[in-house]
Amino acid sequence: MSGQTTPLRPGTASTTGGQTAREKRSAAESLRQALPKSYLLLVLLGIIIIGFIASPDFLTGRNASNVITFSAIIAVLAVGQFFVILTGGIDLSVGSTVALSTVVTAMLLQQGLPAGVAVIATLVACALVGVFNGVLVVGLRLAPFIATLATLSMVQGLSYIIQSTSLIQISNQQFITWFSDGSVLGIPNPVVIFVVLTIIAAFVAKYSTFGRRLYAIGGNREAARLSGLPVNRDLLVTYTVSGLLAGLAGLLAAAQLLQGSSLVGQGYELDAIAAVVVGGASLFGGRGDPISAVVGVIIIATITNIMNLVGISSQPQLVIKGAVIIVAVFLSSAGGVARISGALSGLRGRRAHREKAA
Amino acid sequence: MPIDTATREELGVSGIAKAYTGVQALKGVDISVAHGSIHALAGQNGAGKSTLVKILSGAEVPDSGTITVDGHRVRFRSPQDAQAAGVQTIYQELSLVPQLSVAENVLLGDLPQKSLHSVDWATMRTLAADAIARVGFRIDVREPVGNLSVAEQQGVELAKALHKQARVLLLDEPTSTLPPPDVQRLFQVLKGLAAEGVTMLYISHRMEELYELCDEVSVLRDGQLARTFSIADSEPAQVVSAMVGKDLEHSLEGEALSGGSVPRLGPGPTDQVLMTVENLTEEGKFRDVSFDLRAGEVLGISGLVGSGQSELASALAGARPRSGGAVRIDGKAAALASPREAIRAGIGLLPQDRKAQGFVPDMSVAGNITLASLPMFSRFAVRSDRRENSEARRLVDRLGMKVSSVAQPMKTLSGGTQQKAILARWLVRSARILICDEPTRGVDVGAKEDIYELLRDFAAGGGTVIMASSEIPEALMCDRVLVMAAGRVVATLRHEDIDPHGEAIIRCFGGADQTVPPKATSSTESTQAAVHPRSPLNDVPQKRGLT
Repeated sequence: MSGQTTPLRPGTASTTGGQTAREKRSAAESLRQALPKSYLLLVLLGIIIIGFIASPDFLTGRNASNVITFSAIIAVLAVGQFFVILTGGIDLSVGSTVALSTVVTAMLLQQGLPAGVAVIATLVACALVGVFNGVLVVGLRLAPFIATLATLSMVQGLSYIIQSTSLIQISNQQFITWFSDGSVLGIPNPVVIFVVLTIIAAFVAKYSTFGRRLYAIGGNREAARLSGLPVNRDLLVTYTVSGLLAGLAGLLAAAQLLQGSSLVGQGYELDAIAAVVVGGASLFGGRGDPISAVVGVIIIATITNIMNLVGISSQPQLVIKGAVIIVAVFLSSAGGVARISGALSGLRGRRAHREKAA
Repeated sequence: MPIDTATREELGVSGIAKAYTGVQALKGVDISVAHGSIHALAGQNGAGKSTLVKILSGAEVPDSGTITVDGHRVRFRSPQDAQAAGVQTIYQELSLVPQLSVAENVLLGDLPQKSLHSVDWATMRTLAADAIARVGFRIDVREPVGNLSVAEQQGVELAKALHKQARVLLLDEPTSTLPPPDVQRLFQVLKGLAAEGVTMLYISHRMEELYELCDEVSVLRDGQLARTFSIADSEPAQVVSAMVGKDLEHSLEGEALSGGSVPRLGPGPTDQVLMTVENLTEEGKFRDVSFDLRAGEVLGISGLVGSGQSELASALAGARPRSGGAVRIDGKAAALASPREAIRAGIGLLPQDRKAQGFVPDMSVAGNITLASLPMFSRFAVRSDRRENSEARRLVDRLGMKVSSVAQPMKTLSGGTQQKAILARWLVRSARILICDEPTRGVDVGAKEDIYELLRDFAAGGGTVIMASSEIPEALMCDRVLVMAAGRVVATLRHEDIDPHGEAIIRCFGGADQTVPPKATSSTESTQAAVHPRSPLNDVPQKRGLT
């Protein structure tokens, strides 16, 4: 798996494979192999340079902290979405699960429950949404797209029913400190949460047997089954984790907005999926890694931020965002970097051949 | 068909070279195909066969060299160019639209029209019926192609090529998906077309087919033409030697092809019964299969493709549900309800379709080798790359796998090396029973030998093997062969009781039911004239690969 899981450290791409003499590659060759994997950071760097030129307010600690905090909710969703996409599935229900999470938390806090109890109950409820998805996919063998689309609708309806009034205010200070206002060593809690989560996810993907099994299931489900892997159980766990993380994202949203509302989170699933794919994962499964998915989130958030700073209004912003996604996905998932470099070297080869012939 | 020396060259290839990024796939190949002859193109995987086919079909542009059709130099920049020049390609995977009718498929891209661009159905049906009749089939041209058998679909594909005025047909392993009676039919049709003056380049690794059908065979090796043989003056073993570039005298494949007695793979069974199968049944696939498997035995399950041997093998590996019967391993009942259970009982499966069932393409060789035994390389669900890689390296060395590193993605390996990696997966787990389903399908001649050697090693180390195969030479290597026909075991033959050509096995293939009718109505009238009974070839035995 070294190929997929070390995209952010191009220099180390070949060290996991072992150090025998036959593995020595020419520098140009290893650069060519590392390029598609490290391009994401280059893209982010390029965007940051553009931002620096475009606006004096961009490269400030305050703005950077804004971008990252703003990214936290989508980043948490993207991590869960990454694992689902890794198995070759998709989870469209996470946006409405965010809404459910805010509504359930707000309601429980309004009832006067302690913050800890409300948080745990909410996470359990959202994990159950994931279990439901998992049962539809594994038990009833529905296509993940359809199953989670149906769940999206059901959960949205459920949020409306639970909310019943317009919206529910949150005033529990404890809760707000945990998920929004508090900080650890000066780092805002939402950032701490998503960074820790990303690190755990990266570790699980790269070093755990569970992560390896998910790569196998996404890469070739039948081969995984015939190798005796517990495919159904792993899929169930994956959808459950996605629901759970959508619940966590909802807690962050609720604490930021100070309210529970069934209108929160609409379309977040698409932002998360876009980020995962920008991060190089394949919708067919078996490829990608969680850190790249989160870098994908930050890339999209940074571009949005720059557009806000230079005063581009929100309608053209959407158009530009869409174009950026197309370019990024072409370069990563569609193998654009490899294709362009392949075409170039093919051209060079043909020219060399012609020169030789002449 | 003896070649008339006076015949002119229909297809000429000269000095064709093609390089892909860094790899020289073809290094200047010259082939000359006479008008109306069937010329075989043979070679191992990676020898350059498919590159040459792509170039001749217009899918790839060569770096240098020339192609002539009927003496005229042609340049193919696209498949349309090739088709316009009369070169039609029939690929292994048929390119028909299953929902459309036969007539629409045959005339696709050239639909006859009436005024206002509406389709002229009547003309279309007549034209299609003519083309279908020409390839010797009698099919209702209004039938959707999806309802036809594979053989009939191939007929439609041929008819389509003929309708486009094919002078030269490129046939890329056309028999790989056909059952034997249909193979014979196809050969009749092809011979008929050759008699009408259609020239064919026929790609295949199957020696017996080349010797039955073709006039000449050009062998490619490492991107070069190794040699062109006249079929009438050569022996299969010479062609195979040219393919692998070494003398095959002492290899199993060589033995099998030359009709010598084939050595067994294993040291022979012990007295200990390892697995007992009683009345195993899967509705519609196989019925009432019973046998005892002894430790150390190499048991063959032989049969024509579709006789149930593959399904039986999968069921024994827990990969398919069974509807009845019992299996005992070491005297204890084994449900084998999932691959996981079968693996726990010590069974490993080399599946038939390696690409679809065998490996994870983007994953490393090491990851694929350790896939079935992850807990062995992990503590508290945390894996150790170091331990996985060192075990993988050990197996790579032991099995002589050609990899640049164990981190190399599986999809970049050759078919034979992939098969070894899957075998390695079971060696890591110390599986006791290895179930192989057509273990050498789609691997080249050299890798075949390697796989037999590995199975031999596995058996020599005390392992037990069940080998489901439709290849006679493979059945000849087993200690005991169950012959299946129409889902039932019709005979059990011991190694000693089988003649060197496997006639004893082939005789049983018809099973109790000898009335298997040749598919569809035979329209031999149209092709009869062209069908020459094959002249007995030197001393080529009546060996048949049965897929």
